[in-house]
Amino acid sequence: MEITQITSWTAIVLIAGIAGIMVVRDKLKSITALSVVLINAVLTSIPAILALTVAPQTGSFAMPHLLSNIVVRIDSLSAWFILIINFTSINGALYGNGYMKAYSELKTNREIHWIFYVIFHISMVWVCMFENGLAFIISWELMSLSSLMLVIFEFQKKNTLKAGINYMVQMHLSVIFLTIGFIWLNIKTGSFDFSALSQLPLAKHSVWIFILLFFGFAIKAGFIPFHTWLPHAHPAAPSHVSGVMSGVIVKLGIYGIFRIIMNLRYDWLLFGEIVLSLSVLTAVYGIANAAVKRDFKGMLAFCTIENIGIIGIGIGLGLMGIGSDNQILAVLGFSGALLHTFNHSLFKSLLFFGAGSVYQQTHTRNIEHLGGLIKKMPQTAALFLVGAIAIGGLPPFNGFISEFIIYSGLFKGLSGFPGISQVVLLILTIAGLALIGGISVLTFTKTFGVIFLGNPRTRLHHEPAETPFIMLLPQYLIVAAMLSVAFFPQFYFNYASKIVASSFHLGNNPLDESPIADNLKYIGLISMVFIGIFILVFGLRWLIVRKRTAILYETWGCGYVAPVVKAQYTGRSFARQFGSLFDFIVRIRKNHKKTQKTELYPEKRTFSTYYSDILEKYVIIPLARRSTFLLNYFQFIQNGQIQSYVIYGLFFIMLIFLGTVLKIIT
Amino acid sequence: MVSLVLIILTSLFFTGIVVRTKSIASGRKGPGIFQPMKDIIRLWKKGSVYSTTTSFIFQIAPSIYIASVLMAILMIPHGNHPGIISFEGDFVMFAYVLALGKFLMIISALDTGSSFEGMGASREALYSMLVEPAFFILIGSFALFTGQTSFHGIFSSLHYGSHISYMLGGLATFVFIFIAMIENSRMPVDDPKTHLELTMVHEVMILDNSGFDLGLIMYTTHLKFAMYGAIISNFFIGVLPLEISIPLFFAVQICFAVVVGIIESFIARFRLGHNPQFIFILTSVSLLIFFGVLLVLGKFI
Repeated sequence: MEITQITSWTAIVLIAGIAGIMVVRDKLKSITALSVVLINAVLTSIPAILALTVAPQTGSFAMPHLLSNIVVRIDSLSAWFILIINFTSINGALYGNGYMKAYSELKTNREIHWIFYVIFHISMVWVCMFENGLAFIISWELMSLSSLMLVIFEFQKKNTLKAGINYMVQMHLSVIFLTIGFIWLNIKTGSFDFSALSQLPLAKHSVWIFILLFFGFAIKAGFIPFHTWLPHAHPAAPSHVSGVMSGVIVKLGIYGIFRIIMNLRYDWLLFGEIVLSLSVLTAVYGIANAAVKRDFKGMLAFCTIENIGIIGIGIGLGLMGIGSDNQILAVLGFSGALLHTFNHSLFKSLLFFGAGSVYQQTHTRNIEHLGGLIKKMPQTAALFLVGAIAIGGLPPFNGFISEFIIYSGLFKGLSGFPGISQVVLLILTIAGLALIGGISVLTFTKTFGVIFLGNPRTRLHHEPAETPFIMLLPQYLIVAAMLSVAFFPQFYFNYASKIVASSFHLGNNPLDESPIADNLKYIGLISMVFIGIFILVFGLRWLIVRKRTAILYETWGCGYVAPVVKAQYTGRSFARQFGSLFDFIVRIRKNHKKTQKTELYPEKRTFSTYYSDILEKYVIIPLARRSTFLLNYFQFIQNGQIQSYVIYGLFFIMLIFLGTVLKIIT
Repeated sequence: MVSLVLIILTSLFFTGIVVRTKSIASGRKGPGIFQPMKDIIRLWKKGSVYSTTTSFIFQIAPSIYIASVLMAILMIPHGNHPGIISFEGDFVMFAYVLALGKFLMIISALDTGSSFEGMGASREALYSMLVEPAFFILIGSFALFTGQTSFHGIFSSLHYGSHISYMLGGLATFVFIFIAMIENSRMPVDDPKTHLELTMVHEVMILDNSGFDLGLIMYTTHLKFAMYGAIISNFFIGVLPLEISIPLFFAVQICFAVVVGIIESFIARFRLGHNPQFIFILTSVSLLIFFGVLLVLGKFI
C-alpha cells in the first residue's frame, strides 16, 4: 500500500471508529476504542517498520488549489517516534479499559473520553508523518485539543478545569510560535516544508526562524521556563492519559526539535552549547522539584521535566559533535537522546500506570496518607519498583543504557574539543548528570518507600486491593520491552545510530569502526551477569537461611513496644534536609499563625507547608499578570453576545472580500 | 582476576587493621586483625528475627547490596591487568551499580516502618547523592588527562610527567579516601560506634537486620573498603610488574586502613547539619584536580 493510501485509511478508520464508539453500548465503548487504536497502530506501524529497515516511505497528496502538494513522508526518524507512539498508546488504551471502569457513573464523560482518545492517538502519528508545515500544524493542533479534552475528563472538578485551561493556553502559545515560524519560512523560501529550512539563506535573521520554532517545540517538550503546564496537567488527567502524555506527547516536542536541527546548516556549536546548558538546568530543576513533591503524580510530572533535560543533554552534545566535525560524538549524543526518548516513554508510562492503580484504590494522591501498600498490591508494587529503578538510570534496566550512551559521549567529548570553554561545559554537564542521578535515587526511594512500604499511615475509606489483570497486563508488556532494551541494547542502538546517520547526513555510519555497539552488547551481557550474581547470592542465602530459625517480631523501636504508625518517617521529613540544601530551587512556604505573647490559652491552630515552583511563581505568573493588564483593554470584544460575534465574522468576510477586490490579497 | 583475588583477601583483614589502629591510638591492645571477620562468620551461623512489617524487599536487599559491590569489584583493574569486566566507560557502570545497591538498602530501611531507620535512609540518600558529582568530576579529569575512558585505560596510562601531576595524584588519593569514608559511613560523617540511634546514618538503617543478612551487610562494608583501597592503590602501581605491584598493593591498603583508623581516632564526628558542606569540599577538590589537568594539558592560554 502506498503511504498516502495508508494515511487516508487511518482517517477512514478514525471516522468509522468515532461513529462506532457513539453507536455501541456503553460497556463496549472502551473495547471499540481499543480496537480502533490497535487497527490504526498496525496500519501505521507497517510503513514505519519499512522506513526503519528498508527505505523512507514518501508520497504526496495532490492539492492543486493549495500552494503546494502535501508531502507525506515517513523517514527513519518519524518511524522511531511512530513506533513509540503506537506502543504507548496501545498500552494506554489497555490500561484505560480497566481504569475507566471505576467511572461507570460518568457515561457521557467516558464516551467523549474514548472518542478523543482515538483522535489523540492518530493525530500524534500524523504529526510525525506530515512533511508539510501546514498539515503538520493542523495535526499538532488536533493533538493538543484532543489531549486537552482527555485532561479535563473530570471537568466537573474546578481544579481539573483550571489545569485544562492552563494547558490550553500554553499549547496555543506553542502553536503561535510554530505558525509564525512556518509563515516566516514560507516568505523566505516559498515552501512550508520542513526541508525548506535547509535552504534558508545564511543571514542573521534566519536564525530567528529556528529560535521561534525551537520555542514552539520547547513549550511542548517542557524545557524550563516553559515547563509550567506539566505539573498541572499530569495530575489532573486520568492516569493512562498522563502516562501517554508524559510518555509521548512531550516527546513530540523532542521530535520537532530533531526535525529543525537536522535542517540547521550553521552555528551548530553555539546551538549545541545553548541546548546543553538549558537541558542541564532543566534536568536539575525538574528533579529537585520532584524530590520534594508530595503529590505523587505531580512528582512524576516534574520527573518528566528531568528526563526531557537528559534527552536535551544528548541533543546538545550531538549538535556540538556536528559543530566540531566529531561524528562519533554526534552519533553518541543524538542516539543517546533517541534511545532515552524511547526508554522514558516506557518507564514513565509504567510509573504513571502504577500511580493510577494506587490512586484508584486509595483516592488520594498525597503520599503522606499512604503506606504499606506492598502487602495489598504486591504486583503493582513490584512493577512500580522496576520503573523506579529504571528511571533512576540504574542497571540492570534500560534507563542505564541510554544514560550510559550519553555519558560515554560526554567523556569522549572531553578530549575531543580544543577550546577550554567546551571542556568546562562538558565536565559541568557530567557533574550535573551525576547529581541528577543521585537526586533521582533520593526521589524514588522516597516515593516508593512512603507509598508502598512500612505501615498504612491513615485509615482509608476502603481496603485497597490488587488491580484487575487488564490493568496489570500493559505494565508487564512494558517491563518486557524494558528488559529487551537492557539485555540487547545493541539492537536498539544500531537503529538509533542509523537514524542519526541518515538524518544528519553523516555519510557512512561512523560507528562501523567504533567499538560502541560491541560495548553495548557487552553491557547487555553484564546486566545478565549481574542478575546471575544476585541469584547466586540469594540462592546461597536461601540454602543457608532455611535451616536456621526465623522469628517474626515487631520492628525494633528502641525498647518502645507500642509502635505508633504516625511516628513513621514521612516523605516530607525524608526530603527535608535535601530541601533545605536546595532552597534556591525549592522554596518552602509555611502556613501557620504565630502564638501571641498575650495569648494565655492558645487556641487550636493548624500548620501546613508546601513547596512552590519558583519559576512559575516569580517568572511566569507575574508575566502573565502584566500581559493580562494590557489585554484587559480588549475585553469589550468578548462580551458574551452571539450577535456581536456574528458581526465579527461578517466583518472579516468583508475584509477579505475587499482585499481580493482591491488586489491586496493575491 | 588479580584484583578480584587481592581485594577479597584484603577485605578479610582491612577492618581489623582499622580497629587495631584505633585501639592502639587509645592506649589499648585491641583484638586481632581477623576479629571483625570472625564476628561476621558468627553472624552467618545465626538465625534471624524479621519484623512483621517487612516485605520481600527486606529479604532481597542485602543480597542485591553485596551483588552490586561484587559487580563493582569485578571492574577494578590492578595496574596493567584489567578487571574481569573492562570496557569503555566502565566507571559509569561502577558508580551506577553501587547506587543500585544503595537504592535497595534505603528502601529496605523504609520497609521496616521504623522512624529511626527512615531517618538513616534519608541521610544515606542525601550523602550518597552529594558524593556522586565528586567522583564523576575526578574520573572525568583523569579521562581528560589520559585520553582514556575506562578504569584500565586510565590507570595503565597514568604517568606522572610534571610536578603538577604528582599533586593531582595526591589530591585524587585524598578525595578517594574521603569518598570511601562517606560511602562506608565512617568517622567524620558518621560514627559506627555511636550508641544513639538519632545520630547514626548507616547503622540505624540496618537496626532490624539480623543473622545472615546482617553478616552480608557487614561483609559488604569490608569489601567496599578494600575496593576503594584498590582504586587508591592503582594511583601508585602504574605499569609495574606483578612481583612489585602486589606487595605495593598490600602496603597501600594497610596504609589506607591505618589512615582510616587514625582519622577515626582523632577527628570527632561532624554535626549532621554540617555534613553536606563537608561533602561539597570533595567536589571542589575534584574541580581543583580538573583545573590542574587543564593546566598540565595547556588548555589555559
